[in-house]
Amino acid sequence: MTTELSSANPGRARRQMAADILSKYGIVLAFVILFVALSFAHQNFLSTANLTNVLRQVSINGILAIGMTYVILTGGIDLSVGSVLALCGVVAGSLVTGADPANPALAFLAGIGVGALVGAINGILIARFKVTAFVVTLGMLSMARGATLLYSDGRPIPNLSPEFRWFGQGFVMGVPVPVIVFALVFIIAFIVLRYTVYGRWIYAVGGNIKSARTSGIPTRSVIFSAYMIMGALAGLAGVILTARTTSALPQAGLGYELDAIAAVVIGGTSLVGGVGSVTYTLIGALIIGVISNGLDLLGVSSYYQQIIKGAIIVVAVLIDRSRHSNP
Amino acid sequence: MAKTLLSRRLMLAALAGTSMVAAGFGLVGTAAAQEARIAAVVQSLDTEFNVLWADAANRHPLVEDGTIALTVLDGRMDALQQSNQFDTAIAEGYDAIIFVPVDINAGNDPVQRAMEAGIPVIGSNTLISDTDLYESYISSNDVEAGRILAESVIEKMGGSGNVVIVEGMIGQSAQVQRLEGIEEALAANPDVTVLEQRTANWSRAEALSLVENWLISRGGEINGIIAQNDEMAIGALEAVKAAGLDPAEVPVAGVDGVTDALLAVQRGEMMSTLQDADAQAQGAIDLAMAAIEGEGYEPRAAVWDVNGGEMAWDGGQSQQYSVPWVPVTADNVEDLLAMRQNQ
Repeated sequence: MTTELSSANPGRARRQMAADILSKYGIVLAFVILFVALSFAHQNFLSTANLTNVLRQVSINGILAIGMTYVILTGGIDLSVGSVLALCGVVAGSLVTGADPANPALAFLAGIGVGALVGAINGILIARFKVTAFVVTLGMLSMARGATLLYSDGRPIPNLSPEFRWFGQGFVMGVPVPVIVFALVFIIAFIVLRYTVYGRWIYAVGGNIKSARTSGIPTRSVIFSAYMIMGALAGLAGVILTARTTSALPQAGLGYELDAIAAVVIGGTSLVGGVGSVTYTLIGALIIGVISNGLDLLGVSSYYQQIIKGAIIVVAVLIDRSRHSNP
Repeated sequence: MAKTLLSRRLMLAALAGTSMVAAGFGLVGTAAAQEARIAAVVQSLDTEFNVLWADAANRHPLVEDGTIALTVLDGRMDALQQSNQFDTAIAEGYDAIIFVPVDINAGNDPVQRAMEAGIPVIGSNTLISDTDLYESYISSNDVEAGRILAESVIEKMGGSGNVVIVEGMIGQSAQVQRLEGIEEALAANPDVTVLEQRTANWSRAEALSLVENWLISRGGEINGIIAQNDEMAIGALEAVKAAGLDPAEVPVAGVDGVTDALLAVQRGEMMSTLQDADAQAQGAIDLAMAAIEGEGYEPRAAVWDVNGGEMAWDGGQSQQYSVPWVPVTADNVEDLLAMRQNQ
């Protein structure tokens, strides 16, 4: 989990800084080029309706990717988010189905609460019992999916109350609710990471856990909290997805962990921890969303979409590595 | 340390031993009390249709009264997993295997192995490509489903206009055959143009995004949406509604008759055709029993003509049985929903 990032060599530091700036601009540049190219390629791409669509389609993966950024910054990984999303979705959905639905706010909070609880279990196993994050969350991927199927009987939960569906389908002043939620999550995550002591701790733990510990940072609590935040955000994403698809689907979120990790990696956050930001994750998520939307608009086969997405991930990691390795 | 480890191992061994003995007794017990052991290898218990199928199978009268010991094995949408489950079922010496294959071609080989081991295999729902290997099979014709599906949309459109097609996972028998039926219907209606045709992998969330994007790229051109299953049709319907369009103006149709689709038909927002899980599952069990017991066996499922149903039993000796599709209409949707509550 530890990594060597700082260097005493000033020449190397300068070169690294130059590469750093380049790689960061590279991602923004890639997004701008993509955006402009699609604007020319399809006349409706820039329409308000389409941009609203893109943001709404991005919001679920974006929320997951922001939580994933926290986890990866601490040097960890969470493979369970897709299953946790489904579990939280069916729990929330089960509360607002049928003739006597519960208050939608209650279902909303229940979904997030279940997610936070599952995240806390991951966090305890990883931070307190020192089991590798990959293994713990791989186990949770399977357990949470099993719990989802058990809870829902393997069937979708239909007939969700209209008040609950507002979380996925509603608008506030012309902006879809999922987009507003995503924006709030991003702003809070950004402020916490950049301007609070806790944010600095996250970077310190992922940068060098030993020196973080010796400088008095409660490393266990920091790691634990990152997984709990991830779990809560997976729950939030599950609630929104459920409200959007109008039924709680037990098979929802299959493979979503990979898209969330892809957004983080495309955004240049280092998989070994300590380096990265939610702003670039946001751009990473937007790149994935815009590619998928643009290729749909242009009528390109989804087979190409998968190839293009995969190629971008690999290129992003290549850029990332050139930033961190010796020149 | 060594001692605790040793004692833990001993404990584990003792535990394993006890459970094996218990399992052994269980097996002996069931073999004595039951006439038949049937294994059902299904696609995946993550999907609603397979769950309905398995529930229906477990509600077969002979399963309920203990004459048949039915084991449902979850293939987890993985052809290799199913192949392994066949090996297990063959080694365990089941009397018959009912098979809902994940893959149309990869399913041939396991069935061949079971046949060589002398275990009859009954096909149900989806089929393998080499149907000669089956003892018998019972399914609904997916080509016909595709045709009914496309015709329902075209009829609502008044026989002309532009459609988009949302396809299932490419290469699966349902995708291939339903498309064949859709194309037959399109060939018969030259005034209908296909604007877009893409897969959404049977997924509601994928279809939602796809159709949202099409509604942008194709503006007001889309007059109808043909989805190869209900999950995707519901995703398409949500996209239509989210775009502020009237579902009555842009007809959407799917296949399967999942609960959400029945509810949407009830609201008058889409069209669907029910795939009869009860008939396919319980019918398959009767066919398995006919294979085990021979010609004198009396079927128990309600679908057979001898029990007041629509399908000809033929003494259980035919090789192929075709379960009719049930178009979901405003008239029968209440009954179907009531039935679903009890499933």
